[in-house]
Amino acid sequence: MFRNNYDNDSVTFSPQGRIFQVEYAAEAVKQGSVVVGIASKTHVALVAIKRNAEELSSYQKKLFPIDEHVGIAIAGLTSDARVLSNFMKQQCLAHRLTYGRSMPVRTLVDMIGSKAQINTQHYGKRPYGVGLLVAGVDDHGPHLFEFQPSGMTEEMVAFAIGARSQMARTYLEKNLDKFADCDREELIRHGLKALKESLVQDRELTVDNTSVGVAGADKAGVVEPFKVYDGQEVSAWIESVADDKEAAPAGGSGEGETMEVDS
Amino acid sequence: MTSIGTGYDLANSIFSPDGRNFQVEYAVKAVENGGTSIGIRCKEGVVLAVEKIITSKLLKPNANKRIATVDRHLGIVYSGMIPDGRHFVDRARDEARAWRDTFKTPIATADLASRMGGYMQAYTLYQSVRPFGITAIIGGFDPSTDLPVDGEVGRGPSCGAGGKVPGKTFGGPGLYMIEPSGLYWGYYGAATGKGRQAAKAELEKLDLAGPGGESLTLEQAVKEAARIIYVAHDDNKDKDFELEMTWISGPDGPTKGLHQEVPRALREEAERLAKKALESDDEDEDGKMEE
Repeated sequence: MFRNNYDNDSVTFSPQGRIFQVEYAAEAVKQGSVVVGIASKTHVALVAIKRNAEELSSYQKKLFPIDEHVGIAIAGLTSDARVLSNFMKQQCLAHRLTYGRSMPVRTLVDMIGSKAQINTQHYGKRPYGVGLLVAGVDDHGPHLFEFQPSGMTEEMVAFAIGARSQMARTYLEKNLDKFADCDREELIRHGLKALKESLVQDRELTVDNTSVGVAGADKAGVVEPFKVYDGQEVSAWIESVADDKEAAPAGGSGEGETMEVDS
Repeated sequence: MTSIGTGYDLANSIFSPDGRNFQVEYAVKAVENGGTSIGIRCKEGVVLAVEKIITSKLLKPNANKRIATVDRHLGIVYSGMIPDGRHFVDRARDEARAWRDTFKTPIATADLASRMGGYMQAYTLYQSVRPFGITAIIGGFDPSTDLPVDGEVGRGPSCGAGGKVPGKTFGGPGLYMIEPSGLYWGYYGAATGKGRQAAKAELEKLDLAGPGGESLTLEQAVKEAARIIYVAHDDNKDKDFELEMTWISGPDGPTKGLHQEVPRALREEAERLAKKALESDDEDEDGKMEE
Protein backbone atom coordinates (compact mmCIF):
# COMPACT_ATOMS: atom_id res chain seq x y z
CA MET A 1 0.00 0.00 0.00
CA PHE A 2 2.60 2.55 1.04
CA ARG A 3 5.20 1.88 -1.58
CA ASN A 4 6.96 5.11 -0.90
CA ASN A 5 6.50 7.23 2.21
CA TYR A 6 9.12 9.76 1.28
CA ASP A 7 7.30 11.49 -1.57
CA ASN A 8 4.39 13.21 0.15
CA ASP A 9 5.97 16.61 0.79
CA SER A 10 9.00 18.68 -0.08
CA VAL A 11 10.48 18.62 3.44
CA THR A 12 11.27 14.91 3.59
CA PHE A 13 14.53 13.45 2.39
CA SER A 14 14.55 9.87 1.12
CA PRO A 15 17.26 7.60 2.60
CA GLN A 16 19.28 8.31 -0.54
CA GLY A 17 19.11 12.05 0.10
CA ARG A 18 16.57 12.79 -2.63
CA ILE A 19 13.43 14.95 -2.41
CA PHE A 20 10.81 13.23 -4.52
CA GLN A 21 8.35 16.13 -4.59
CA VAL A 22 10.97 18.23 -6.36
CA GLU A 23 11.68 15.41 -8.80
CA TYR A 24 7.97 15.03 -9.52
CA ALA A 25 7.72 18.77 -10.17
CA ALA A 26 10.47 18.31 -12.75
CA GLU A 27 8.19 15.77 -14.44
CA ALA A 28 5.50 18.45 -14.79
CA VAL A 29 7.95 20.38 -16.99
CA LYS A 30 8.10 17.38 -19.33
CA GLN A 31 4.29 17.51 -19.73
CA GLY A 32 4.50 20.94 -21.33
CA SER A 33 5.13 21.40 -25.04
CA VAL A 34 8.70 21.91 -26.14
CA VAL A 35 10.57 25.21 -26.14
CA VAL A 36 14.07 25.84 -27.50
CA GLY A 37 16.55 28.63 -26.81
CA ILE A 38 19.90 29.45 -28.46
CA ALA A 39 22.41 32.21 -27.84
CA SER A 40 25.04 33.52 -30.26
CA LYS A 41 27.58 36.30 -29.76
CA THR A 42 25.02 38.87 -30.91
CA HIS A 43 21.52 37.45 -30.39
CA VAL A 44 19.47 35.12 -28.28
CA ALA A 45 16.40 33.40 -29.70
CA LEU A 46 13.52 31.46 -28.18
CA VAL A 47 11.22 29.28 -30.26
CA ALA A 48 8.21 27.31 -29.06
CA ILE A 49 5.42 24.96 -30.07
CA LYS A 50 2.02 26.12 -28.86
CA ARG A 51 -0.79 23.71 -28.00
CA ASN A 52 -4.54 24.12 -28.35
CA ALA A 53 -6.98 22.25 -26.15
CA GLU A 54 -9.21 21.43 -29.12
CA GLU A 55 -9.54 22.31 -32.80
CA LEU A 56 -11.68 25.39 -32.25
CA SER A 57 -9.85 26.82 -29.23
CA SER A 58 -7.00 29.26 -29.26
CA TYR A 59 -3.38 28.30 -28.61
CA GLN A 60 -1.75 28.67 -25.17
CA LYS A 61 1.00 31.29 -25.22
CA LYS A 62 4.52 30.00 -24.59
CA LEU A 63 6.70 33.11 -24.86
CA PHE A 64 6.35 36.12 -22.59
CA PRO A 65 8.21 39.43 -22.66
CA ILE A 66 9.42 40.41 -19.17
CA ASP A 67 11.18 43.70 -19.78
CA GLU A 68 12.68 45.48 -22.79
CA HIS A 69 15.73 43.24 -22.67
CA VAL A 70 14.38 39.95 -21.30
CA GLY A 71 11.84 37.33 -22.33
CA ILE A 72 10.96 33.83 -21.16
CA ALA A 73 9.75 30.57 -22.66
CA ILE A 74 7.75 28.24 -20.43
CA ALA A 75 7.10 24.51 -20.20
CA GLY A 76 4.83 23.09 -17.51
CA LEU A 77 2.09 24.68 -15.41
CA THR A 78 1.21 27.95 -17.11
CA SER A 79 -0.35 29.43 -13.97
CA ASP A 80 2.89 28.89 -12.04
CA ALA A 81 4.75 30.51 -14.90
CA ARG A 82 2.54 33.57 -14.63
CA VAL A 83 3.44 33.94 -10.95
CA LEU A 84 7.14 33.86 -11.82
CA SER A 85 6.63 36.08 -14.85
CA ASN A 86 4.81 38.74 -12.80
CA PHE A 87 7.56 38.58 -10.18
CA MET A 88 10.25 39.02 -12.83
CA LYS A 89 8.42 41.95 -14.41
CA GLN A 90 8.12 43.65 -11.03
CA GLN A 91 11.78 43.09 -10.18
CA CYS A 92 12.89 44.45 -13.55
CA LEU A 93 10.78 47.57 -13.11
CA ALA A 94 11.99 48.08 -9.55
CA HIS A 95 15.58 47.78 -10.77
CA ARG A 96 14.95 50.39 -13.46
CA LEU A 97 13.42 52.72 -10.88
CA THR A 98 16.30 52.31 -8.42
CA TYR A 99 19.31 52.14 -10.71
CA GLY A 100 18.03 53.83 -13.87
CA ARG A 101 19.11 50.94 -16.11
CA SER A 102 18.02 47.45 -17.03
CA MET A 103 18.66 44.52 -14.71
CA PRO A 104 21.53 42.13 -15.54
CA VAL A 105 20.00 38.83 -16.68
CA ARG A 106 21.97 36.72 -14.19
CA THR A 107 20.69 38.85 -11.29
CA LEU A 108 17.11 38.34 -12.41
CA VAL A 109 17.53 34.59 -12.84
CA ASP A 110 19.15 34.24 -9.41
CA MET A 111 16.10 35.95 -7.91
CA ILE A 112 13.65 33.38 -9.22
CA GLY A 113 16.12 30.66 -8.24
CA SER A 114 16.07 31.83 -4.62
CA LYS A 115 12.30 32.18 -4.71
CA ALA A 116 11.84 28.63 -5.99
CA GLN A 117 14.32 27.14 -3.51
CA ILE A 118 12.24 28.30 -0.56
CA ASN A 119 9.30 26.27 -1.90
CA THR A 120 11.43 23.13 -1.63
CA GLN A 121 12.41 23.60 2.01
CA HIS A 122 9.19 24.58 3.82
CA TYR A 123 6.22 22.42 4.75
CA GLY A 124 2.92 23.43 3.16
CA LYS A 125 4.61 24.82 0.09
CA ARG A 126 5.10 23.00 -3.18
CA PRO A 127 7.79 23.43 -5.82
CA TYR A 128 6.86 25.38 -8.96
CA GLY A 129 5.67 22.98 -11.65
CA VAL A 130 7.26 24.90 -14.47
CA GLY A 131 10.60 25.14 -16.22
CA LEU A 132 11.77 28.32 -17.92
CA LEU A 133 14.23 29.38 -20.54
CA VAL A 134 15.20 32.96 -19.82
CA ALA A 135 16.67 34.92 -22.73
CA GLY A 136 18.06 38.40 -22.38
CA VAL A 137 20.74 40.91 -23.26
CA ASP A 138 22.80 43.08 -20.94
CA ASP A 139 26.22 44.77 -20.81
CA HIS A 140 27.88 41.38 -21.24
CA GLY A 141 25.90 40.53 -24.39
CA PRO A 142 23.21 37.91 -24.96
CA HIS A 143 22.43 35.28 -22.32
CA LEU A 144 20.33 32.14 -22.12
CA PHE A 145 19.43 30.57 -18.77
CA GLU A 146 17.53 27.46 -17.81
CA PHE A 147 15.41 27.50 -14.66
CA GLN A 148 14.20 24.27 -13.00
CA PRO A 149 11.54 23.73 -10.29
CA SER A 150 14.33 22.82 -7.83
CA GLY A 151 15.57 26.41 -8.02
CA MET A 152 18.56 25.35 -10.10
CA THR A 153 19.53 27.97 -12.66
CA GLU A 154 22.31 27.49 -15.19
CA GLU A 155 23.58 29.53 -18.11
CA MET A 156 23.46 27.56 -21.36
CA VAL A 157 24.70 28.04 -24.92
CA ALA A 158 21.50 26.42 -26.16
CA PHE A 159 18.82 24.32 -24.50
CA ALA A 160 15.40 22.73 -24.89
CA ILE A 161 12.83 21.78 -22.25
CA GLY A 162 9.39 20.18 -22.41
CA ALA A 163 7.86 17.08 -24.01
CA ARG A 164 10.29 15.08 -26.16
CA SER A 165 12.87 17.84 -25.73
CA GLN A 166 15.70 15.28 -25.70
CA MET A 167 15.46 15.08 -29.51
CA ALA A 168 15.87 18.85 -29.76
CA ARG A 169 18.79 18.79 -27.34
CA THR A 170 20.51 16.14 -29.44
CA TYR A 171 20.18 18.44 -32.47
CA LEU A 172 21.58 21.35 -30.45
CA GLU A 173 24.53 19.29 -29.19
CA LYS A 174 25.33 18.25 -32.75
CA ASN A 175 25.40 21.86 -33.98
CA LEU A 176 26.78 23.43 -30.80
CA ASP A 177 29.94 24.82 -32.38
CA LYS A 178 28.05 26.75 -35.07
CA PHE A 179 25.86 28.85 -32.79
CA ALA A 180 28.40 31.41 -31.54
CA ASP A 181 28.88 32.98 -35.00
CA CYS A 182 25.31 32.65 -36.26
CA ASP A 183 23.47 35.78 -37.34
CA ARG A 184 19.93 36.51 -36.19
CA GLU A 185 18.19 34.59 -38.98
CA GLU A 186 20.48 31.56 -38.82
CA LEU A 187 19.93 31.37 -35.08
CA ILE A 188 16.15 31.29 -35.46
CA ARG A 189 16.41 28.67 -38.19
CA HIS A 190 18.55 26.45 -35.95
CA GLY A 191 15.93 26.89 -33.24
CA LEU A 192 13.11 25.85 -35.55
CA LYS A 193 15.07 22.87 -36.82
CA ALA A 194 15.68 21.75 -33.23
CA LEU A 195 11.98 22.21 -32.56
CA LYS A 196 11.09 20.02 -35.55
CA GLU A 197 13.17 17.18 -34.12
CA SER A 198 10.82 17.05 -31.14
CA LEU A 199 7.58 17.00 -33.12
CA VAL A 200 5.42 13.88 -33.13
CA GLN A 201 5.12 12.13 -36.46
CA ASP A 202 2.03 13.73 -38.01
CA ARG A 203 2.54 17.27 -36.70
CA GLU A 204 4.44 20.10 -38.31
CA LEU A 205 5.27 23.73 -37.74
CA THR A 206 2.49 26.11 -38.79
CA VAL A 207 1.92 29.83 -38.40
CA ASP A 208 -0.67 28.98 -35.75
CA ASN A 209 1.40 26.75 -33.49
CA THR A 210 4.84 28.38 -33.70
CA SER A 211 6.19 31.30 -31.68
CA VAL A 212 9.57 33.01 -32.07
CA GLY A 213 11.19 35.49 -29.69
CA VAL A 214 14.45 37.37 -30.25
CA ALA A 215 16.65 39.85 -28.41
CA GLY A 216 19.96 41.14 -29.64
CA ALA A 217 23.00 43.27 -28.98
CA ASP A 218 24.89 44.21 -32.12
CA LYS A 219 28.60 45.02 -32.26
CA ALA A 220 28.09 48.68 -31.40
CA GLY A 221 26.43 47.53 -28.20
CA VAL A 222 22.97 48.64 -29.26
CA VAL A 223 20.26 46.36 -27.94
CA GLU A 224 17.46 44.90 -30.03
CA PRO A 225 14.60 44.70 -27.54
CA PHE A 226 13.03 41.32 -26.88
CA LYS A 227 10.09 40.83 -29.21
CA VAL A 228 7.73 37.91 -29.73
CA TYR A 229 6.61 36.98 -33.25
CA ASP A 230 3.44 34.99 -33.88
CA GLY A 231 1.13 34.10 -36.76
CA GLN A 232 2.01 35.42 -40.21
CA GLU A 233 5.17 37.05 -38.80
CA VAL A 234 6.80 33.62 -38.50
CA SER A 235 5.69 32.18 -41.87
CA ALA A 236 8.90 33.13 -43.69
CA TRP A 237 11.02 31.41 -41.05
CA ILE A 238 8.90 28.26 -41.16
CA GLU A 239 9.16 28.14 -44.94
CA SER A 240 12.92 28.68 -44.79
CA VAL A 241 13.44 25.55 -42.69
CA ALA A 242 10.96 23.58 -44.80
CA ASP A 243 13.02 24.28 -47.93
CA ASP A 244 16.08 22.69 -46.37
CA LYS A 245 14.20 19.45 -45.98
CA GLU A 246 13.09 19.48 -49.59
CA ALA A 247 16.62 20.08 -50.77
CA ALA A 248 17.77 16.98 -48.90
CA PRO A 249 14.99 14.40 -49.05
CA ALA A 250 17.54 11.58 -49.09
CA GLY A 251 16.84 10.82 -45.44
CA GLY A 252 13.68 9.02 -46.51
CA SER A 253 12.23 9.34 -43.02
CA GLY A 254 8.66 10.22 -42.06
CA GLU A 255 9.59 13.88 -42.25
CA GLY A 256 10.22 13.58 -45.98
CA GLU A 257 6.69 12.34 -46.50
CA THR A 258 5.10 15.24 -44.69
CA MET A 259 6.95 17.63 -46.96
CA GLU A 260 5.13 16.36 -50.05
CA VAL A 261 1.90 17.74 -48.66
CA ASP A 262 3.39 21.22 -48.71
CA SER A 263 4.50 21.11 -52.34
CA MET B 1 19.30 0.68 6.41
CA THR B 2 17.61 -0.35 9.64
CA SER B 3 15.85 2.98 10.02
CA ILE B 4 13.50 2.38 7.11
CA GLY B 5 10.01 1.29 8.10
CA THR B 6 10.31 2.39 11.73
CA GLY B 7 8.63 5.71 10.98
CA TYR B 8 11.26 7.72 12.81
CA ASP B 9 12.81 8.83 9.53
CA LEU B 10 9.72 10.38 7.98
CA ALA B 11 9.87 13.80 9.59
CA ASN B 12 12.58 16.25 10.50
CA SER B 13 13.42 16.97 14.17
CA ILE B 14 12.19 13.56 15.32
CA PHE B 15 14.54 11.53 17.49
CA SER B 16 14.67 7.78 17.04
CA PRO B 17 14.78 5.69 20.28
CA ASP B 18 18.57 5.55 20.03
CA GLY B 19 18.85 9.32 19.71
CA ARG B 20 19.36 9.92 16.02
CA ASN B 21 17.73 12.38 13.64
CA PHE B 22 17.46 10.39 10.43
CA GLN B 23 16.38 13.29 8.24
CA VAL B 24 19.69 15.01 9.01
CA GLU B 25 21.54 11.83 8.14
CA TYR B 26 19.66 11.64 4.83
CA ALA B 27 20.60 15.26 4.12
CA VAL B 28 24.23 14.21 4.49
CA LYS B 29 23.57 11.62 1.78
CA ALA B 30 22.55 14.45 -0.57
CA VAL B 31 25.94 16.07 0.11
CA GLU B 32 27.79 12.85 -0.58
CA ASN B 33 26.39 12.77 -4.12
CA GLY B 34 27.60 16.29 -4.99
CA GLY B 35 30.83 17.36 -6.69
CA THR B 36 33.90 17.55 -4.45
CA SER B 37 34.73 20.82 -2.69
CA ILE B 38 37.93 21.48 -0.77
CA GLY B 39 39.60 24.24 1.21
CA ILE B 40 43.28 24.60 2.12
CA ARG B 41 44.50 26.94 4.83
CA CYS B 42 48.16 27.90 4.87
CA LYS B 43 50.13 30.67 6.53
CA GLU B 44 49.67 33.14 3.66
CA GLY B 45 45.96 32.58 3.10
CA VAL B 46 43.19 30.22 2.03
CA VAL B 47 42.38 28.43 -1.24
CA LEU B 48 38.90 27.13 -2.11
CA ALA B 49 38.31 24.73 -5.00
CA VAL B 50 35.36 22.82 -6.42
CA GLU B 51 34.87 20.10 -8.99
CA LYS B 52 31.93 21.06 -11.22
CA ILE B 53 30.59 18.00 -13.03
CA ILE B 54 29.49 18.91 -16.58
CA THR B 55 25.96 17.49 -16.70
CA SER B 56 25.30 18.68 -20.25
CA LYS B 57 27.38 19.71 -23.25
CA LEU B 58 24.99 22.62 -23.68
CA LEU B 59 26.15 24.35 -20.48
CA LYS B 60 28.04 27.57 -21.20
CA PRO B 61 31.69 26.88 -20.28
CA ASN B 62 33.05 28.81 -17.28
CA ALA B 63 29.81 30.77 -16.87
CA ASN B 64 28.21 29.04 -13.88
CA LYS B 65 30.25 29.99 -10.83
CA ARG B 66 29.94 27.91 -7.67
CA ILE B 67 32.23 29.72 -5.22
CA ALA B 68 30.56 32.80 -3.79
CA THR B 69 32.03 35.96 -2.30
CA VAL B 70 30.17 36.81 0.89
CA ASP B 71 32.17 39.81 1.99
CA ARG B 72 35.39 41.39 0.68
CA HIS B 73 37.50 38.90 2.60
CA LEU B 74 35.18 35.87 2.72
CA GLY B 75 34.33 33.05 0.34
CA ILE B 76 32.01 30.06 0.54
CA VAL B 77 32.04 26.85 -1.46
CA TYR B 78 29.60 23.99 -0.98
CA SER B 79 28.76 20.46 -2.08
CA GLY B 80 25.30 18.95 -2.39
CA MET B 81 22.06 20.59 -3.46
CA ILE B 82 23.11 23.73 -5.30
CA PRO B 83 19.89 25.75 -4.80
CA ASP B 84 20.25 25.12 -1.04
CA GLY B 85 23.82 26.40 -1.29
CA ARG B 86 22.69 29.59 -2.98
CA HIS B 87 20.17 30.20 -0.20
CA PHE B 88 22.91 29.58 2.37
CA VAL B 89 25.17 32.09 0.62
CA ASP B 90 22.37 34.69 0.50
CA ARG B 91 21.96 34.31 4.25
CA ALA B 92 25.72 34.54 4.83
CA ARG B 93 25.77 37.82 2.85
CA ASP B 94 22.95 39.14 5.02
CA GLU B 95 24.89 38.18 8.15
CA ALA B 96 28.10 39.82 6.91
CA ARG B 97 26.26 43.02 6.04
CA ALA B 98 24.36 43.08 9.32
CA TRP B 99 27.62 42.64 11.22
CA ARG B 100 29.18 45.60 9.42
CA ASP B 101 26.08 47.71 10.13
CA THR B 102 26.12 46.83 13.82
CA PHE B 103 29.79 46.71 14.70
CA LYS B 104 31.30 48.96 12.02
CA THR B 105 33.89 46.30 11.27
CA PRO B 106 34.01 43.33 8.86
CA ILE B 107 32.85 40.01 10.31
CA ALA B 108 35.61 37.61 11.35
CA THR B 109 35.65 34.21 9.62
CA ALA B 110 35.03 32.46 12.96
CA ASP B 111 32.04 34.68 13.70
CA LEU B 112 30.48 34.04 10.31
CA ALA B 113 30.99 30.30 10.81
CA SER B 114 29.24 30.57 14.17
CA ARG B 115 26.30 32.53 12.75
CA MET B 116 25.89 30.18 9.79
CA GLY B 117 26.31 27.11 11.99
CA GLY B 118 23.43 28.39 14.07
CA TYR B 119 21.34 29.03 10.97
CA MET B 120 21.96 25.53 9.64
CA GLN B 121 21.15 23.98 13.04
CA ALA B 122 17.82 25.81 13.20
CA TYR B 123 16.70 23.85 10.14
CA THR B 124 17.05 20.58 12.11
CA LEU B 125 14.71 21.74 14.88
CA TYR B 126 11.31 21.96 13.22
CA GLN B 127 9.02 19.60 11.35
CA SER B 128 7.99 22.50 9.12
CA VAL B 129 11.35 22.66 7.36
CA ARG B 130 13.98 20.24 6.10
CA PRO B 131 17.70 20.37 6.82
CA PHE B 132 20.06 21.88 4.25
CA GLY B 133 21.31 19.35 1.71
CA ILE B 134 24.76 20.90 1.67
CA THR B 135 28.06 20.95 3.49
CA ALA B 136 29.65 24.38 3.22
CA ILE B 137 33.30 25.39 3.49
CA ILE B 138 33.93 28.98 4.60
CA GLY B 139 37.31 30.56 3.94
CA GLY B 140 38.46 34.01 4.96
CA PHE B 141 41.38 36.20 5.90
CA ASP B 142 40.82 38.47 8.87
CA PRO B 143 42.95 41.63 8.92
CA SER B 144 45.42 42.02 11.77
CA THR B 145 44.74 45.74 11.86
CA ASP B 146 41.38 47.45 11.94
CA LEU B 147 40.19 48.54 8.51
CA PRO B 148 38.19 51.72 8.15
CA VAL B 149 34.54 50.97 7.54
CA ASP B 150 31.78 53.16 6.11
CA GLY B 151 29.97 54.89 8.94
CA GLU B 152 32.75 54.31 11.45
CA VAL B 153 32.54 56.66 14.42
CA GLY B 154 35.63 56.97 16.64
CA ARG B 155 37.53 53.90 17.77
CA GLY B 156 37.46 51.48 20.69
CA PRO B 157 40.06 51.16 23.46
CA SER B 158 43.57 50.40 22.21
CA CYS B 159 44.00 47.48 24.61
CA GLY B 160 42.11 45.47 27.21
CA ALA B 161 38.41 44.58 27.01
CA GLY B 162 37.08 45.41 23.52
CA GLY B 163 40.57 46.31 22.29
CA LYS B 164 43.78 44.69 21.15
CA VAL B 165 46.14 43.07 23.64
CA PRO B 166 49.66 44.44 23.12
CA GLY B 167 52.11 41.83 21.87
CA LYS B 168 49.41 39.41 20.73
CA THR B 169 48.78 38.79 17.02
CA PHE B 170 45.26 39.09 15.63
CA GLY B 171 43.56 38.06 12.42
CA GLY B 172 44.98 35.71 9.81
CA PRO B 173 43.55 32.95 7.64
CA GLY B 174 40.46 31.00 8.71
CA LEU B 175 38.81 27.87 7.31
CA TYR B 176 35.59 26.30 8.61
CA MET B 177 33.34 23.49 7.40
CA ILE B 178 29.62 23.35 8.34
CA GLU B 179 27.58 20.14 8.04
CA PRO B 180 23.79 19.79 7.57
CA SER B 181 23.42 19.21 11.33
CA GLY B 182 24.87 22.67 11.97
CA LEU B 183 28.04 21.15 13.38
CA TYR B 184 31.15 23.03 12.37
CA TRP B 185 34.88 22.81 13.02
CA GLY B 186 37.89 24.85 12.04
CA TYR B 187 40.21 23.08 9.60
CA TYR B 188 43.69 23.19 8.17
CA GLY B 189 42.37 21.35 5.14
CA ALA B 190 38.70 20.52 4.53
CA ALA B 191 37.00 18.31 1.95
CA THR B 192 33.38 17.35 1.23
CA GLY B 193 31.30 15.86 -1.57
CA LYS B 194 31.67 12.68 -3.58
CA GLY B 195 35.46 12.53 -3.64
CA ARG B 196 36.02 13.60 -0.03
CA GLN B 197 37.76 10.37 1.06
CA ALA B 198 40.46 10.61 -1.58
CA ALA B 199 40.73 14.37 -1.07
CA LYS B 200 41.10 14.00 2.71
CA ALA B 201 43.87 11.42 2.24
CA GLU B 202 45.74 13.87 0.00
CA LEU B 203 45.16 16.79 2.37
CA GLU B 204 46.56 14.77 5.27
CA LYS B 205 49.74 14.11 3.30
CA LEU B 206 50.34 17.88 3.11
CA ASP B 207 50.78 17.93 6.92
CA LEU B 208 49.09 21.33 7.09
CA ALA B 209 48.83 21.18 10.90
CA GLY B 210 52.58 20.63 11.26
CA PRO B 211 55.64 21.98 9.44
CA GLY B 212 53.93 21.34 6.07
CA GLY B 213 51.47 24.16 6.72
CA GLU B 214 54.23 26.53 7.80
CA SER B 215 56.21 26.10 4.59
CA LEU B 216 53.39 25.85 2.04
CA THR B 217 53.08 29.05 0.03
CA LEU B 218 49.70 30.24 -1.23
CA GLU B 219 50.71 29.56 -4.82
CA GLN B 220 51.74 26.00 -3.88
CA ALA B 221 48.41 25.62 -2.09
CA VAL B 222 46.60 26.57 -5.31
CA LYS B 223 48.54 23.90 -7.20
CA GLU B 224 47.87 21.31 -4.48
CA ALA B 225 44.15 22.18 -4.49
CA ALA B 226 43.98 21.65 -8.25
CA ARG B 227 45.85 18.34 -7.97
CA ILE B 228 43.62 17.12 -5.14
CA ILE B 229 40.44 17.89 -7.13
CA TYR B 230 41.89 15.95 -10.06
CA VAL B 231 42.83 13.02 -7.79
CA ALA B 232 39.39 13.04 -6.14
CA HIS B 233 37.72 13.04 -9.55
CA ASP B 234 39.70 10.07 -10.81
CA ASP B 235 37.25 7.51 -9.44
CA ASN B 236 34.40 8.66 -11.68
CA LYS B 237 36.39 9.77 -14.68
CA ASP B 238 33.56 9.00 -17.09
CA LYS B 239 32.08 12.48 -16.62
CA ASP B 240 33.92 15.66 -17.54
CA PHE B 241 34.36 18.42 -15.02
CA GLU B 242 35.38 22.05 -14.70
CA LEU B 243 37.71 23.25 -11.95
CA GLU B 244 36.85 26.49 -10.17
CA MET B 245 39.28 28.00 -7.65
CA THR B 246 39.38 31.12 -5.50
CA TRP B 247 41.93 32.40 -3.01
CA ILE B 248 42.29 34.89 -0.19
CA SER B 249 45.67 36.26 0.89
CA GLY B 250 46.61 38.76 3.59
CA PRO B 251 46.89 42.49 2.79
CA ASP B 252 50.49 41.99 1.61
CA GLY B 253 49.70 38.99 -0.59
CA PRO B 254 48.49 38.70 -4.21
CA THR B 255 44.80 39.38 -3.45
CA LYS B 256 45.45 42.16 -0.91
CA GLY B 257 43.09 40.64 1.65
CA LEU B 258 40.26 40.09 -0.83
CA HIS B 259 38.44 36.91 -1.86
CA GLN B 260 39.05 36.56 -5.59
CA GLU B 261 39.04 34.00 -8.36
CA VAL B 262 42.48 32.50 -8.99
CA PRO B 263 43.88 34.22 -12.13
CA ARG B 264 43.32 32.19 -15.26
CA ALA B 265 47.04 31.77 -16.06
CA LEU B 266 47.78 30.35 -12.62
CA ARG B 267 44.74 28.07 -12.69
CA GLU B 268 45.69 26.66 -16.08
CA GLU B 269 49.27 26.11 -14.91
CA ALA B 270 47.94 24.34 -11.80
CA GLU B 271 45.68 22.16 -13.95
CA ARG B 272 48.56 21.29 -16.27
CA LEU B 273 50.67 20.20 -13.29
CA ALA B 274 47.72 18.27 -11.82
CA LYS B 275 47.24 16.30 -15.02
CA LYS B 276 50.99 15.63 -15.20
CA ALA B 277 51.04 14.40 -11.58
CA LEU B 278 48.12 12.07 -12.28
CA GLU B 279 49.80 10.65 -15.38
CA SER B 280 53.04 9.92 -13.55
CA ASP B 281 51.00 8.29 -10.75
CA ASP B 282 49.33 6.04 -13.29
CA GLU B 283 52.68 5.11 -14.77
CA ASP B 284 54.00 4.18 -11.33
CA GLU B 285 51.02 1.93 -10.75
CA ASP B 286 51.41 0.30 -14.14
CA GLY B 287 55.09 -0.30 -13.39
CA LYS B 288 54.24 -2.06 -10.14
CA MET B 289 51.65 -4.19 -11.87
CA GLU B 290 54.23 -5.40 -14.39
CA GLU B 291 56.68 -6.28 -11.63
